[in-house]
Amino acid sequence: MNDTVTQGAAQRRELIAFRIGDQEFCVDIMSVREIRGWAPATPLPRTPSFVKGVINLRGAVLPIIDLGARLGLKTSEPTARHVIMVVHIGDRTIGLLVDAVSDIINMSDDLVQPTPDVASDQVKTFVKGLFALDGRMVSLIALDRVLPETEAEAA
Amino acid sequence: MDPFESIKATFFQECEELLTDMESGLLAMEAGDDDPETINAVFRAVHSVKGGAGAFGLEQLIRFAHVFETILDELRSGRLSLTEDVTRVLLRASDVLADHVQAARNDGSVDETRTHGMISDLQGLVGAERAAELGFDGEEEDAGEEDFGFVPVTLSLDEPADDAPPADVSDLIASLAPAPEAEAEAEAEVAAPAADSLAEAGAAPAWRVTFRPKTEMYAKANEAGLVLRELARLGGVEVNLDASAVPPLDQLSAEQAYLSWTIRLTGDATEAEVRDVFEFVEDDCDLSIVREGEAAEAEAEAEAAAPVDIAAEDSDAPADAVEAAAAAPLDLDALLARVQGDSPAAEPAEAEAPAETPAPEAEAPASAEPASLDVAGLIALAEKASTEHALATPAAKPEPKVETKAESKAQAAAPTGGSAAPAPTIRVDLDRVDRLINAVGELVIQQAMLSQRVFESGLARSSDVALGLEDLELLTREIQDSVMAIRAQPVKSVFQRMPRLVREVADMVGKKVRLVMEGENTEVDKTVIERLSDPITHMLRNAIDHGLERPEDREANGKPGEGVVRLAALHRGGRIVIEVQDDGRGINRERVRGIAMSKGLIAEDAVLSDDEIDNLIFLPGFSTADVVSDISGRGVGMDVVKRSIQALGGRISISSEPGKGSKFTMSLPLTLAVLDGMVVSAAEQTLVAPLSNIVESLTPRSEDVHLIGGRDAVIRIRETFVPLIDVGVALGFRDTPLPPSSGVAVLIESEGGGKAALLVEAIQGQRQVVIKSLEANYQQIPGVAAATILGDGRVALILDVDALVTSSRRKSAPRIEKRMAG
Repeated sequence: MNDTVTQGAAQRRELIAFRIGDQEFCVDIMSVREIRGWAPATPLPRTPSFVKGVINLRGAVLPIIDLGARLGLKTSEPTARHVIMVVHIGDRTIGLLVDAVSDIINMSDDLVQPTPDVASDQVKTFVKGLFALDGRMVSLIALDRVLPETEAEAA
Repeated sequence: MDPFESIKATFFQECEELLTDMESGLLAMEAGDDDPETINAVFRAVHSVKGGAGAFGLEQLIRFAHVFETILDELRSGRLSLTEDVTRVLLRASDVLADHVQAARNDGSVDETRTHGMISDLQGLVGAERAAELGFDGEEEDAGEEDFGFVPVTLSLDEPADDAPPADVSDLIASLAPAPEAEAEAEAEVAAPAADSLAEAGAAPAWRVTFRPKTEMYAKANEAGLVLRELARLGGVEVNLDASAVPPLDQLSAEQAYLSWTIRLTGDATEAEVRDVFEFVEDDCDLSIVREGEAAEAEAEAEAAAPVDIAAEDSDAPADAVEAAAAAPLDLDALLARVQGDSPAAEPAEAEAPAETPAPEAEAPASAEPASLDVAGLIALAEKASTEHALATPAAKPEPKVETKAESKAQAAAPTGGSAAPAPTIRVDLDRVDRLINAVGELVIQQAMLSQRVFESGLARSSDVALGLEDLELLTREIQDSVMAIRAQPVKSVFQRMPRLVREVADMVGKKVRLVMEGENTEVDKTVIERLSDPITHMLRNAIDHGLERPEDREANGKPGEGVVRLAALHRGGRIVIEVQDDGRGINRERVRGIAMSKGLIAEDAVLSDDEIDNLIFLPGFSTADVVSDISGRGVGMDVVKRSIQALGGRISISSEPGKGSKFTMSLPLTLAVLDGMVVSAAEQTLVAPLSNIVESLTPRSEDVHLIGGRDAVIRIRETFVPLIDVGVALGFRDTPLPPSSGVAVLIESEGGGKAALLVEAIQGQRQVVIKSLEANYQQIPGVAAATILGDGRVALILDVDALVTSSRRKSAPRIEKRMAG
């Protein structure tokens, strides 16, 4: 499924694509530490609804963010078929709850288009850009905005 | 880190210890200790700082230390007598010296005016005349510079008995002598051919000595190591061992001399002095002593001379010699570890030793020679190591252990751990300890998980597996305790900064204060220690600024003009308690109450006990100082102290007696890594309440529970009403409160002594849990102190009991704990 990597293509990078509902998103593969199945999380009090709680990842306490809810898409009750992508954001490690991981994409930066104005503010906050892939639209997620405290309303 | 930088880092580490020694010495002097040994110790500390600074060319530091040291020398020699004024100036000087060290460490700058003021104060102690005699008086700069090169070397050799263990390294470093050369020496390729190092060494005055002992020399019981050590006393040496003449083992003759040395000697020794060293062996060795530069020729000459003779190295105890040789690298190891503060660096030396140790089956006569070879080799090694680490000095430490054979065994044993006084210690990177602690934390969790699995599998309690698990649990706990003990440190490291603070604050507000410290050796986890400093600082400032009266007011009230502030640490109930007590005026309750009312912190008609009024000062936005002074009351009041202590899982309270003084008591957990907790369930969640907060648990009867207003419930426990907090509701897990009679109430005590009852569904048990930060990957959540991982592998939240109580108090404040009449 990968394109052949050509030597010297400086801005090429690999992305992990995943689905939430019928939309496709992706993040840089370098920020993904592992992908694991959903396990029930311990809910945290007084947190926004997109924070599903915390899980134990080999001794570390990892917050789980329901990315769909975060983006203002539908919220789903997680099942065993859901997937947690463990990602690094700065010096933190968090889990992103998504529907499924779909693809590994090899592409170059110049194919990324800015997010068009039609998108809602909430989506624009988290989407760095878009690109087309085999007729599908994939949105590039800005991971550093996903954690709640970067928002003013964070409690 | 390059070797020079790492030595510099070691120097600053040593400095810290030296400054501590100095300050405690000065404080002892202040308290009336005029033992010459105390003064000597202070002098040595300052001297060592200066010496070390010389090696690194830290001129400002040297200059100040020089003046300071000279005054101390006056004191030491009895020309200056120890009075209260003198100690006060000396203490202030010690603060300035600490500033200088700090500045040198951070490449920062020092307060020049303060330094100059201090220098003239110091000079003032001896009077202008004597000051001129001593060579300061405006010229202190020259004095300092001229001094730093050589004096430290001489002194450290002349006074070997004075070498207090902490001073050793600095002294060694100090004796590096001409500082600019240090780097060159450190980097010089020791093993390289003479010509190379010659080229690198540049134009520094140096002797090149080629020393090739003949067999007769050993026969006359002379020892090459002793000669080399003697030579090292004359200045910096760089020793190269030439072992190329050593034949393969099967051709080795035990009695022959094969080794030769090339020594590069720096310093201002004369040729006669150098020759003197070889006085006793001159006839039995090939010796050439030439000025650097002529050396190359001499080398060639020396090469021509073939020193193969009959040896009579009479080591009558070959086994011992081998042992000594084997022991020596360990000592070298220890030395290097101390010098570098970094034990792995010594590994190469250690690694070489086994290779050199001869095979045990070697025939008896032959074993003597390899042994002496080892000893000699080790000297070279020791020299090499010390040169490599820019310790081009009398390799004073390693040598005594390698110098002779039979005795060296006995000697080697003693110096390994330094001289008898302090227990042997090692410096370990904190990261490594933390990694170990984390791993043990995982072990505890894993052990709990395993226990739970076994329990669930329905095995009998008396089964072998269950019994084995019990042992494992005990063992795990023991490991955990031991590991935590590694990180435990006496609070001394925090306390020792306080005398200075007290002096400065007292000076600033014009009060006389005596600080009494108790329990400095109370141990607590390093993570806690680091965070003790701020609250203690704040409380001390507060005690001096607000607590103590001005001297004239004190005297008017029949108290001594000098106020006493007591800082104490003690262990109590698995926690560390820090008390800050003053003998000042105590809390003015009327005023506190008035302020609290005017700021709207309490209701006009609130009925408060004395204790409750005292504890009002912890409320946010409360500051009693009418005048906002520079010391305390910057708008950040005791509420900040309280919050920072709470963040550590601690509590703080105050008790006060008008006219007699007040006492702040703060208690903190001994560690921030583990916690004894009670596992409870509320709203289908498993939660952990810190056991230290829990007083008792009980099943509430519905007739004991009363509602105040709409939803705020109180419960009567014996004769006291305390608020009843439904944990599920307080944390927002549930909207409707649990019917009290269907749950369990856990009576807890919060930091101010305030009580509350937490209503939960059930108590699952008591367990030691490993604290996991929520902030590391997420953020702080009100009401939750941290998280932990339970036996089933799931995350459970640890309740922040104080926050829960506070948030409930805010709703129903201030009517917390009103006693029933009668």
